[in-house]
Amino acid sequence: MEGKIIVVTSGKGGVGKTTATSSIGAALALEGNRVAIVDMDIGLRNLDVVMGLENRIVFNIVDVVLGRCKVEQAAIRDRRIENLFLIPASQSDNKDVLTTAGVERVAKQLRAKFDYIIMDSPAGIERGFENSVVSADEALVICTPDVSAVRDADRVIGLLYARSLNPKLIVNRIEPARVMRGEMLSHEDVLEVLSIDLVGLVPMDEKVLISSNTGTPLVLQSDSKAGAAFRRIARRLNGEEDLPIEMPVYKTSMWQKISKTFGLKP
Amino acid sequence: MLSGLFKRFTTKKNSKDAAKKRLQFSLIYDKLEVNDTTLTDLQQDIVDVISKYFEIDTDSLELKVKRDENVSALVFNTPILHVKRKQV
Repeated sequence: MEGKIIVVTSGKGGVGKTTATSSIGAALALEGNRVAIVDMDIGLRNLDVVMGLENRIVFNIVDVVLGRCKVEQAAIRDRRIENLFLIPASQSDNKDVLTTAGVERVAKQLRAKFDYIIMDSPAGIERGFENSVVSADEALVICTPDVSAVRDADRVIGLLYARSLNPKLIVNRIEPARVMRGEMLSHEDVLEVLSIDLVGLVPMDEKVLISSNTGTPLVLQSDSKAGAAFRRIARRLNGEEDLPIEMPVYKTSMWQKISKTFGLKP
Repeated sequence: MLSGLFKRFTTKKNSKDAAKKRLQFSLIYDKLEVNDTTLTDLQQDIVDVISKYFEIDTDSLELKVKRDENVSALVFNTPILHVKRKQV
C-alpha cells in the first residue's frame, strides 16, 4: 500500500509546528508505522536539533531532490523509536533550489517506502509552502489561541482549500486557567472563527521546552500533557477517528473553588 | 485577591471576547478587502433604511459576522420598538 503524505502548516511561525511535526511523527511510529519526517524549511532547519539527531546528518532533502543521493542515504534512523526516520533540511541552500516537480518525484519514492510521510512546512505562504503542500494527501494546521496565529491560520486554510486539501486544525498551547478567566480564546472560539474540523487540542506544557533542550521525543515522556495530546492526535490520524478529543482542563484546588465562590481571583 | 473581589462588582468585558470579535471582522476584511469605514457606513445605511419603517433601538443593535466553509454572512440584529405609521 502507498504511504500517506501529511503536511503540517501554520502560516505564522513560532506556534509549535516543529514540536507538533516531530511528536506526531514519533507517535505514529510508536503505533507501528514506518514514518519519515521531512524538514522542508530549507535554510533554517530545526527538526534535527529538536529530535536530537543533529550530529548524524550526512545528506539532506535538497540532496535527495537534486539527485545527489538516495532517499535511504538521507533518512536518519531514530535510535529510540523504531521505524522513525528524519530527512533533514539543508542549512546552506536557499529555498528556491527546490521545485515542485522535484518534490513530487521524491514524494513518489517516499510513498513507496513509508506508511506516513510528515512534511514540516516553513512558516509563510511562499515557495517553501508550495513545495511542502504540492504532494500532500492531508493537511494539518497548527495555531495558538491568539489573534495573529488565528488570522494567519485562516489565510493558510484558504490556500489549502484552493489546492483541494481539507485541512484539520490543532489548537496548541491552550492555557485552561486563562481560558477560564476569559483572557484567552477558547478552542470553541477558534473553531467558530475558522470553521474547520478539529483533530486535537494541546495544552501549554513546560515539558516541551525541556524535551527540546535534550533532544528527546516528547511523546516518550509519560508525564507530558502535550505529549499525550499528540499521541492521541496520531491515533486519530491513524484510523481511530472516533477517539474523543480531550479538552485541557484547569484543575481547581479546594481553596480555588472557595475563593471563586466568593468572587476572588481564581 | 482584593482585585478579584473588585472585579466581581465591575462588569469588565473579557479580553478574549474582544479578540474574537476583532478576528471575525478582520477575516471578513481580509477576504472582501473592505475596510472599517465601509462596514460602519453600511451599518448606518441599514439603520437609515429600517428607520423609515420601524423605530429601532440603535443602542443595542449588532452587526455580526458569520462564516461557513465558503460563505460569509452579515447578520444584522436589532430590537424593533415600534412600527411607524405609514404616512399618507
